[in-house]
Formats: sequence, structure tokens, C-alpha cells
Amino acid sequence: MSLNLNARSALAAASLLLAPPALAQAPQDGAPPAEAAPPAQAQPVMTKPPELLQQVEAPYPPEALAEGLTASVRLIITIAADGSVADVLPTEPAGHGFDEAAIAAVRQFRFSPAEVDGVPAPVQVEYVYHFTLNAPTPESSGPEQQAPPAAKATLTGQLISRGSRSRVPGATVRCGDDPAAPEAISDAEGRFTLEVPPGECAVRVVASGFQLYQTKEQLQENETTEVNFFLAPTAGALETVVRSERPKKEVVRRTITRQEAQRTPGTFGDPIRVIQTLPGVARAPFISGELLVRGSNPGQTATMMDGVGIPLLFHLLGGPSVVNAEFIDQLDFFPGGYGSQYGRAVGGIVEVGTRKGASDTFHGSVKVDLLDAGFFLEAPVTKGISVAAAARRSYIDTILPAVLPKSEGSTLSVVPRYWDYQLRVDFGAKRDARSEEEAQAQAGSGHSTGYVMAFGSDDQLRLVSGGPETERDLSVDTHTLFHRIKGDWTYRKGALTSVFTPYVGYDGTSFKFGAAKQDGSGYTVGAREVLGLELSSALTVRTGLDLVYEHQSFDVEFPAPENFEYVAFPGAESIGELLVEHIGLGSFDGALFVEADLKVGKFTFTPGLRGNYQRAGDARNVALDPRLWVRFDATERTQLKGSLGLYSQPAETFRFITLPYGNPDLAYQRAFQSSLGVEHRLTDVFNVDVTGFFNRRFDNIAAPGQILSLPGGGVVQLPYSNQGIGRALGLEVMVKKQRASATDKWSGWISYTFSQSLDGRTGPAPEGGGGFGGGFGGNGDDTYGLSPFDQTHILTLVSNYVLGKGWELGGRFRYTTGRPTTPLNHTFDLYQVDRNRFNGTYGPYASSRTAGFHQLDVRLDKSWQFQSWTLGAYLDVQNLYNAENVEFTFNDYRQRREYEVPGIPILPVVGVKGSF
Amino acid sequence: MKALINTGSLLLLALAALACVEPEDKPSSVHDLRVLGVSTEQPELIASTCDQTPEAFDELAAEVTYRALLVDPAGGGRTLQYSLWACADQDDRICETEADRVLLAEGTTAAGELTLPIRPGAARVAENKLLIERVLEEDAYQGLGGIRMPLVLRVSAGDEEVYAQKLMVFWCPVVAGMTANVQPVLPGLRVDDVAWPESEPLELSGPGPFVVTADDVSDRQEAYVVPGLRLQAVNLKEAWEIAWYTSLGTFNLSETGGADFGGQQGRHRVEWEPEEGAGAQEVTFWAVVRDGRGGSSWLVRRARWSP
Repeated sequence: MSLNLNARSALAAASLLLAPPALAQAPQDGAPPAEAAPPAQAQPVMTKPPELLQQVEAPYPPEALAEGLTASVRLIITIAADGSVADVLPTEPAGHGFDEAAIAAVRQFRFSPAEVDGVPAPVQVEYVYHFTLNAPTPESSGPEQQAPPAAKATLTGQLISRGSRSRVPGATVRCGDDPAAPEAISDAEGRFTLEVPPGECAVRVVASGFQLYQTKEQLQENETTEVNFFLAPTAGALETVVRSERPKKEVVRRTITRQEAQRTPGTFGDPIRVIQTLPGVARAPFISGELLVRGSNPGQTATMMDGVGIPLLFHLLGGPSVVNAEFIDQLDFFPGGYGSQYGRAVGGIVEVGTRKGASDTFHGSVKVDLLDAGFFLEAPVTKGISVAAAARRSYIDTILPAVLPKSEGSTLSVVPRYWDYQLRVDFGAKRDARSEEEAQAQAGSGHSTGYVMAFGSDDQLRLVSGGPETERDLSVDTHTLFHRIKGDWTYRKGALTSVFTPYVGYDGTSFKFGAAKQDGSGYTVGAREVLGLELSSALTVRTGLDLVYEHQSFDVEFPAPENFEYVAFPGAESIGELLVEHIGLGSFDGALFVEADLKVGKFTFTPGLRGNYQRAGDARNVALDPRLWVRFDATERTQLKGSLGLYSQPAETFRFITLPYGNPDLAYQRAFQSSLGVEHRLTDVFNVDVTGFFNRRFDNIAAPGQILSLPGGGVVQLPYSNQGIGRALGLEVMVKKQRASATDKWSGWISYTFSQSLDGRTGPAPEGGGGFGGGFGGNGDDTYGLSPFDQTHILTLVSNYVLGKGWELGGRFRYTTGRPTTPLNHTFDLYQVDRNRFNGTYGPYASSRTAGFHQLDVRLDKSWQFQSWTLGAYLDVQNLYNAENVEFTFNDYRQRREYEVPGIPILPVVGVKGSF
Repeated sequence: MKALINTGSLLLLALAALACVEPEDKPSSVHDLRVLGVSTEQPELIASTCDQTPEAFDELAAEVTYRALLVDPAGGGRTLQYSLWACADQDDRICETEADRVLLAEGTTAAGELTLPIRPGAARVAENKLLIERVLEEDAYQGLGGIRMPLVLRVSAGDEEVYAQKLMVFWCPVVAGMTANVQPVLPGLRVDDVAWPESEPLELSGPGPFVVTADDVSDRQEAYVVPGLRLQAVNLKEAWEIAWYTSLGTFNLSETGGADFGGQQGRHRVEWEPEEGAGAQEVTFWAVVRDGRGGSSWLVRRARWSP
């Protein structure tokens, strides 16, 4: 059989697979752009996709031709800032010479420069090169036969993603299979115009990440037919794929995409909890979302949303996080060794990057689950302005009354309620440079982008219990809320980048427990300015300011508390006289930082210095944090990296209030952090990262402090002191498999941490015991030992598999070494008569451990795509095989026998989400 | 506040989980050698002046009556060995520091109430130093909570051994309005709203639960004054606690009353359930009251219970 051959790039260029911020910068270290890039919290946004200007046809491989083989070669193209092709990598090798031919051709392509935040920037795109064989065309009737002037019809329209209504750019539209037939490529808005002979057009639309779309249209001569084609995504409408990572300037930065955040089993789709599956993070008890990073204690890892601190991370203490998962673009997690622009933490940093509203059309989603319901909306308002908004409200307060026990003679009412919101409006004109020259001309002038964002949260919990048959009437009422408004102005001109982030905030707390009341309010105003300047290809400097002022005031009314006002006698607590106080305090914390990236051969040195100054009440604190990290690009795929530096964290403002309720003399909490590691890209989708760390914490807040004599007589026990110390060392391993393309079905990661964490305090144990820095008690005179959160081995396996037809299955398996315990060693009863309690007799402190923790969580997602919306449902089952893990131990009343407190049993949760 | 919330969340979760785990040995169920209560009469001694004069020390050296409620239901009337020590450091739960301890009494006794006349305020340790002075030296609060001398009773029989530490309080009038504590005494108990006489056992039958209440004590709870940590006067009011014990079955609560930090007081109401499958027998009940400042006393009641 005789065949004609055609090698054609049937698919359009630049079929961008998502995540503009992730795409917005080069995937490889050493790529030009981002060294003067804005700080991590300013998420860059692609404002103009690249367009294919020059296409080169690949020769058909002779061997494949001889065997009659066809192929589709899927490629990842790295497009440099000037539109040239910087790198081409096949994601699914086709063999038979197809890969080499396609790569050689694509290397000669030319694109219009893509723009990020309005300036040319390197990006990655996915591209599929098709090699097809067509049947021979009929013999021509001879050159002498002149064809009549061809009549024309026009087919125009828009390509829309089925299920999400996103516009599909870069798709190829043609009539029939004839390689000679004209074709059109859809623009950024998904629009195309195709001029073809009139008659029946067997429409074929080919777009990367979408199924082949075929239909028939009758086209009339000299008429324009306008259509909308809805293309079906190949991997579900919710599919998102991160094609690249931003260049890492930190020794360890782990990035979680929105999809990973939402689909990781056992996290209820809660993005912050996904961080707990990463190396360096110890497992927190039960389902609490505490971040225990590299031996640090709760509260020592800062969580920020686009650079602004989130004051309260979880609703109702351990409930869902206050950040709506839909609003998140990605999460960056720095377990240590982060840059000088970050501060106010002696543990790690979590940076939540929010999403810019869609620029193509109106989108949204509604999500309902057991606890709450929420929505997310995004839309372009006008050219260059888009808006995104999300809100959520719990309704468990309406369900609980139906399930709470009711009995005569007693009443029980529990009313938990929470809501949160996020709103972001982006500014920054999207410019339509149609040529490389125009783009370069535009790049020469300064360009500003920016956004305003507001977010907040409100939690209320009311518990009332009483009645003649109850032991006591009990009333607890708490209310916590916060609001933050922040701006972001990014200015780029040439090698200069400036990001200015002002913000204001309000915090409110209210607490009532019987006669005890506390109403607190706090006002925050702060700003960050980060200037980046790329002085040369080898030297980039960043500097800036990070300032925040807080004023907190409290109206308190409570019975005189023992040990603050008087020395408690062990046993029944007496009722103290009612004290009424108004306390107000302001605090300022400012930092000036500077750091530079210096490239010397294969080395990149980044020395930095952060100077911190705090003023709270009468306290004046200064801390200098020098930092250094080094990268060595051993090969294209392998980097060695190391860091060391000092880190500071101010005590919260309320801790500075006057004695005996605060300690006005608190100083910065400090830490020394160091790490050394290697990172290797096994393949384009497999990465391995091995990092060792050693940290020391000192001057940390410990509670309570020592008892001091007052000058005028009397004594006071400091509620807090800077006596806390700690040490952690360990090794972290991360192996991550990303999706190569929209058709790649499997992704996941293995995270393993080996570590030892010590925690304690300097000096003797304070009167009344008091815990180590972590807040958990020691034993006897021990003041330093294993941290209560120490876990020698922490292993997490996370995997997701796209089953097809809208089904996706995920699993998470965790194993951690049991937490340290101090074993009972009962030989006789020790009865404290006044307290009516028994004391235990124990073995050596932390000389035993609970049994290891292991648990399998599974999540099943199903999505149904309709023409203009998608319905999704999920079943998330925690502890699938109902492992009885030990979370805590406690002793019987005589301290003779130890009992184990089990963790969460099997816990299924279902949810529904509709998006359009 | 953040730390409070974090700790609170863990505590809430732990408490929720704790509710699912129930130890077999219940505080209210008396089945072996126990010390259920200790009191001193007077509950505290107060000197007329805070100057460290011989007269003041003499006032604090007055004799007090030490009472301990010993129970040993499985002992079959065996002999109990006891020794009573006074020492200087509250953290020395068994008074093992020889240089700082004084033996006040020792001997043998039987289960029931052990009564000993003692003069702890007169006890002297090495170098003929008053123990009370050593207690003051050990006190980080410099006596602002009173001089709290640990009295440790060791009781043993067979392989059972119990150390019971009671703090004997010595005061002086640091601030105006301070008066000596009055021993708390329960006016009476009721079962299913019927008065429970001390003299004879109450007849009870059936599986229960039987509601046991204490007669109103609100008018007996004293208002009192203590010195504050900054030498100010702090006004307090007692909120008594009652610990409940039984020789058969359990109480649903082992302790009632007291006040939480919001000043919310509990009510003295418990439910007694006899042990499942038990036969008719005489049951002993104990209610030990504490006033939260060192005073304590108890009531003993009996019942003839039949299924």
C-alpha cells in the first residue's frame, strides 16, 4: 500500500497547563529571570501567553516511515524571555526517531515573548508534535488544468473548556484530516477564525489537555458561521498540573499546589494540614493542625497569607483552617534556612499564596460538607482588573442540637459557629504586544501591577450546661475574630523590582466563663517593602523593610486568680474577689534586611542580614540575624545546598503586659539553624531531596518563670521567661513524582524524617513545676530532655491516581515513632491529702515511648462534567483500617497503672462541590 | 492567648478521648488500704504578731490534734503500722531528708480514725533549729501563703504502703482582717432526699442509682482574707469540696463542689450504684469535706442494702 506522509505539528503551540505563578518563571536554575524577582509572597501572574510565530516542520523519521508508524511526541518547551526556545524535553518518549525529529524541529521554533506581571519572562509550555500518515491523494489532472477561484466560507468561534468554561488557547482548529487544509490556532481568549471552502466541514479541534473534538458544520459560501465548541478535558475539569518550580533560593522550600492541597487524603482538603505530610514536620496529636517543624514547639512556625501573618490558623481550635482552599494558589513551606526577608519565627515558615481572579470569564464553585458550606467566585471586571472572592460558614450549630443528649433535669447546649472570607482584586493592565519588538519596547518602560486583598475569620463557641441533676451549672462563651486588609504594589523596570505591601488589621476576642470575662481588641498596621536589583548576571541584591505596629487592649473582670494574686493552697479553689482591669499596650517590631545572590561558577552564595528591633511597653530589644546559604550546581540535575543562620521571634504583645500577668522584660526568642543537603532530578517528573539539619533554640519563651522578690516587699512569679531552650537534628528525605502531563495519571510523594528533638529550660524548675518550653510537664527536677513531640521516624506516603471517567483515588499512609513518655514505677501510694490527689513515682524522664503511630487515609473523588459546569463529590476516610493508635497516656487516680488514650477511629467525611 | 488556645485545643481533644477510656480502679470505690482524709484540730495556728519573737513561736507551738481516716476493708482487722513525720520541704512527699525532718509519732493501730496529739510548731531539727523556721526558709513565696509544714503519715500493712502528706498551716496577721480558719463540718447527708442518720444504717434496696446529697453548706463557707503576693489584702470565700467513698459499688462522681476560675460552684449531689451481682450487705459510706485552706472533716454513714 502506498502512503503519503506528513509530519505536522497539528497541535497549537503553547498549550499552557496551568498554574501561571508556577509557570511564570523558569524551571531550571540558572535561567535568567527571577533572580531579581519579587519576594515569595508576591505571586507572579502570567499576563500574556506566548504565541507561536515561527513553526518548523520536522522530517518524518525514515525507519518509522518504512514501518508505517505514527506518533505523538509530547514535549515540554522552555521559552526564554525573548521568545526563543531555551530547552525542549520529551515527557513521554515515543521512540523510533520521533523524539529526536520533533525536538530538532521545535528547537527552531520562535514564540512571541510571554509576559509575567506585564514584563517578558521565561515560561514552560506543553506541546504535542503529531506524526501522521495519510492515504495517497488522487493523481492530479495535470498542471495545465487551472483550478477555478476558490469560494470561501468562514468558521469563527470560541473554544471553551467543558465543565469549567475556561477559554482554551493554543488549540488547532481545522476541517478534516487533510494536512494541506488550512488551520487556525485559538488565541488567549480561545477565539479562532478559519477560512475554508464552503460545504460540510468535519471540524477537528486538537488541544493539549483536551480530548479530540469532532463535529460537522455546514458552511455557506461567503458567510460566517459562529460557534462555541466545548472541549472535554482529558483529566477532569479540576485538573491542574504544575509544570515547573520557581528557582529555589532557599535550601529547602517545598511547594504544594492547590490540587495537592485539596486532594490529599486525610486532610479534609485543608491546605494547612497538607504541610503536615512534608519532611521535617512532626505529627501533631489527634487531628490538630499544629505545625511542629524541626523540633520547634507549637507557635514557633509562622503562617502568612501573601506576606501577612494569619493570627489564627484554625476554626474552633482544631477545626478547618481559616483559609478557604479554593482561594489558594499554592503553599510554600520553608522548614528552615529561609531568607532574610522572612522573620518573626524560630521554627519554619508557611507562605500561603492566594489566587488571582480569572481573566477569561466568570467562574466559581460551591462546596458543601459535613461542617460547613462555602463558595468561590472569580471573574474579570474589565481589562486588566479581576476579582476573586470566597466565603464559608459553618452550620454545625444547627445540627448539634439534634444529636446532643437530652435528659430530664439537665440541659446541654453547644453552639459552635464560624465563618471566614477572602476577597482579592487585581490591577495591572494586560498589554497585547503582538510582536517581539513591541514586547521588548514595552519591557523597557516600568510596569506596575497590584492587588488589594481582604481576609478574615470569625469563631464563636457557646457552651451552657446546667440543671438540678448536673454537678454544676457551667457557661462558656468565646468569640474570636480578625480582619486583615492588605495591598500589594509591584513595580518592575528593567532589572529593578519593587514590591510594597501595606496592611492593616483588627483582632477581637471575647471570653466569658462564669464571672470571668475578658474582652480584647487589637489593631495592627504594618508594611513590607522589598527591592530587588539585578546588578549583573552574577549579582542580585535584595533589601527591604518589614514593619508592624500592634496595639492591644483588654477589659478583664475575673475572680482574683490564685498564684497571680495570692498563694494558692492545694485543693479546693476558693472564690476570689472580683478584679476589674483595663490593660492596653502597644508594640512595634521592625526589621531591615539585605541579601545578595552572588554567582561564582557553579556556586551561588546568598549572604544576608536581618536586623530586628522591638519596642513593647518599656522593653527594647535588638537582634541581628546573619544568614548564609550556598548552592552548588554539580550537574544540570543535581544541586548541593547548605545554610546556616540566626533567627528571631518576638514574644506576642500580650506577654509584655505588667506583672504579674505578663513580663515586660521579655527578649527575642532566638534560634540557630543549619542544614546541608542534595537535590537531584531523577527524571523530569521525579525529584529527590535529602537534607540534614541541626538547630538550636535559645531564649525561648517558657512558662512559668521563676519567683522574684519585689523591691517594696512581696513576691511575684513571672508568668513567662526567656529560659526556653531546645535542640533538634535530623535528616529529611523527599521523593516527589509530579504529573508529566494532563494524561499522566499518577502523582505523589514519599516523605521521611529521622530526627531527635530536645526541649527544656535553663536553670532550675520553677515553683509549681511548669512545663518545658513546649508546655508539657517534665518530671521531678528535670528541666531538659526529649521534646514531648519528639518522633524519631516520620514516614508519609501520599499518592493520587486518576482512574478516568472523572474518578480519582488517593491514599496517604503515615508511620511515626511513638511520642516519649515517662514510665510509671509504682512502689507505694503518695497521697496529697489537701489536694485529694495522688502523686506518681516514675522511672527516668522520657525513657519510654508510646507505640508507633500508623494510619491509612483514603480519598475518592468523582467529577461529572456538564457543558458549563462540573459537579464533584468526594469521600475522605481517615484511618481506613481503624488502627488504635495511642495519642496520650494517663494514669489511674492512684498512679498505679498507665492507660492509653486512642486517637481518631475510622472517620469518613463526604463533601460535594459544584464549579463552573 | 494563642498559646492558651493551642493548649486548650489539645486539652479538649485529650479530654474527649479520655472520656472513652475508663480505668477499673475508681477513687470512690474503697477496696484496699487507703487514707481517706486527714485533719488537724485546729486546722491552722495563727500568731498574734508577725515579728519573730519567742512569744509568737510559742503561740505557733500549741498542741493540735491530728486525725487520719484509715480504711482497710480487705484487711480483716489486721494491724497497721504508722509513723508521722514533719519536714521542711513540700516537695519532699515522704519526708526523706533526714536533716529536715522530725518524727512526731509512730506505732500500730487498726483501721478507723487514728488520733494523735502533736506539737509540730515546737519541732526542732539539726542545730536545734525550729522546723517551722526551716519551712519558711524553703518557701519561695516567703511565707505569703502561710508557713505550710508538711506532715507525712506513713501507713503500711503487708505489702501495702501509703504516704499521706497534709500541710499544717501557721499564720500571722500579715494583712488586716485575717482570722484563724474554722474547721469545715458537714451538717448532714440525705439519700433520695431522706435524712441519713449517723446512728443507724439506712435501709436501701434495688439496683439504684441512689441520689446522695449534702445538706446546704453555703452558710458555713467562710469569707476570709489572705495576704496577696504584693502584700495587698485579698478577699476570698471558701467553696467546699466533698470527696465521696463507698465500700460497695461506686459513686458517679468522686468529688463535688469547689469553684472553677470563673467562680462557678458545683453542687453536692452524687449518685450511688451498688456493684452488679452483689448480695445484700451492710455498706459504709464516707464523705470527706475540704474547705480549700487546710480544714477538713468527714462523716461516716452506713446502709443495709439488698438487691
